Amino acid sequence: MSEQQHSGTQDSTHFGFKTVARDEKVSMVANVFHSVAAKYDVMNDLMSLGIHRLWKRFTIDCSGVRPGQKVLDLAGGTGDLTALFSRRVGPTGQVILADINESMLNVGKDKLRDLGLVNNISYVQANAEALPFADNSFDIITIAFGLRNVTDKDAALRSMFRVLKPGGRLLVLEFSKPTEAWLSKVYDLYSFKLLPAMGQLVANDRESYQYLAESIRMHPDQDTLKQMMQQAGFAETSYHNLTGGIVALHRGYKF
Amino acid sequence: MLKLLLPGLLCTVAEKVLNPVIGMDPDAHSRLNRLQGKQFAVRLRGIPLRLVFTAQQNGIWLNSHDEPVDCSISADLSALQQLSDPSQLTRLIREDKLQIDGDLQTLQQFSQFFQQLNPDWQERLSIYLGDAMAHKATNGIQLLQRSIRQYLQQSDHNLRELAQDELLLTPVAAEVQQFSQDVSAVAARTELLQRQLAGLLSQSRAFA
Repeated sequence: MSEQQHSGTQDSTHFGFKTVARDEKVSMVANVFHSVAAKYDVMNDLMSLGIHRLWKRFTIDCSGVRPGQKVLDLAGGTGDLTALFSRRVGPTGQVILADINESMLNVGKDKLRDLGLVNNISYVQANAEALPFADNSFDIITIAFGLRNVTDKDAALRSMFRVLKPGGRLLVLEFSKPTEAWLSKVYDLYSFKLLPAMGQLVANDRESYQYLAESIRMHPDQDTLKQMMQQAGFAETSYHNLTGGIVALHRGYKF
Repeated sequence: MLKLLLPGLLCTVAEKVLNPVIGMDPDAHSRLNRLQGKQFAVRLRGIPLRLVFTAQQNGIWLNSHDEPVDCSISADLSALQQLSDPSQLTRLIREDKLQIDGDLQTLQQFSQFFQQLNPDWQERLSIYLGDAMAHKATNGIQLLQRSIRQYLQQSDHNLRELAQDELLLTPVAAEVQQFSQDVSAVAARTELLQRQLAGLLSQSRAFA
C-alpha cells in the first residue's frame, strides 16, 4: 500500500476503512479513546494475552535509556512506557507523558501516582503533529500504538525530529503486517471477529475495537514506515518484527 | 517468533524477585543511594544475552542491550561465582576467564551491594504468620540451611578421600605438583633438543 493510500488525499483521510474529512478524524479518534480509556489496560492484557508488556520491554531495551536522560512518551496513554522509563532515568532525568486525549492522560496520571511514580514525570496534553516543545529537547522519543491514529503522520514524524536532540533516537512501536501468510489469516480472523466481540463483552463498545482492527490494516507496513521516517530526516532507520510482524518496532536517529 | 522478547521476560521476572528482596533489607536503600545512577552489565559467555543493571533509589532495574555502561564484564559462570572474592580478580583476568571494560569501582560496588544484601525474612513472614511462628520458622530454616551445608561439605570431603586414597582414581595435590614439575622438565629438555637440532641443521647446510 502506498504512502498516499495511507494518508488519504489533501482534504480526506482514513478512519479505519471509512474515508472522512481530515478535520473530522481528530474528534472521531478522540471519541474512541474517551470511550475505551477506563478499560484500556484490561483490554490490552486480554487482547494481547499480556504480550504487549514484552513488546514495551523490548522498546525500552532498544532505547538504551540511561540515568539522567530526558524522555518523551508520546501518545503515552495509560503510562506503561512512562513507568518503565521513569524508574530508569531516576531523579536526575525526566519523562514527559504526552497524549492528545485528556481521558487517557487522566487514567495514566492516576495509575502512575498509584505506583508511587511522581518525582520525575510531567504530563502534557499535546498533538503529535505540532509538539509544544523547544527544538532539540529530548534524548529519546517513543510513540507506542499511537502513530496510526495520527491524521498527518508525516507532520508528526517531522515534529518529533525537531524536538529530538542530535544523537537522540525515536522508537515507534506499532501494529504492522504479519510476515507469514498463515499468521495473517489467523490474525485477520482474530481481529475482525473475536476482537470486536471482546470489546463488546468487556468494555461494552464494539465499534471502538472494530476501528482498532481497521486502523491497523490501514497503517503503513514496515518498509513504508521506515521510508517515511527517512523522509522526515531520521538516519540509520531500522525495524524489528515482533511476534511474526503483528507488531514492529522502528528506530531512527537524529544526527 | 518470541526470541526477541525472551530477554524482556527474564528481566521482568528478575526485577519482580530482586526488588522485593531489596525492599526487605532495611539498610539496602542507603547503600543503593551510593550506587544511584550507575549501570553495570554482565555477559555470560556462551549465552547470547547481556544483562544491564541500573541502580536507582527505588531499586535495581534490568534491561538487555549492547549500549555503553559504566562497567561491563564478560565471564563464564564459574568465574562469576568467584567475583565475591576481590583477590581472585587479577588471576581470573590473567587466565582470560573474566574481561572487564569500564570502571572497576562500579563492579566492586555492585558486587559489594549484592553480598551485603540481608533481607529480613522474619519481619516479612511475621505479617502472615505472627511474630512467634515467624521466629520459629526462620530459626528452623536457618538450622536446615546449616545442616545441608555441613552435609554437603562432609560428602564432598568423603568423596574426595574415596577417589584419592581408596579407589586411586584422582591424584592428590602433591602428585599433581610432581607431575607438573616433570612436564616442565620434559618441556625444557625438548626445547633444548630443538635448539640443538636447529644448530646442527644450519651447520650441515653451511657445509653443503
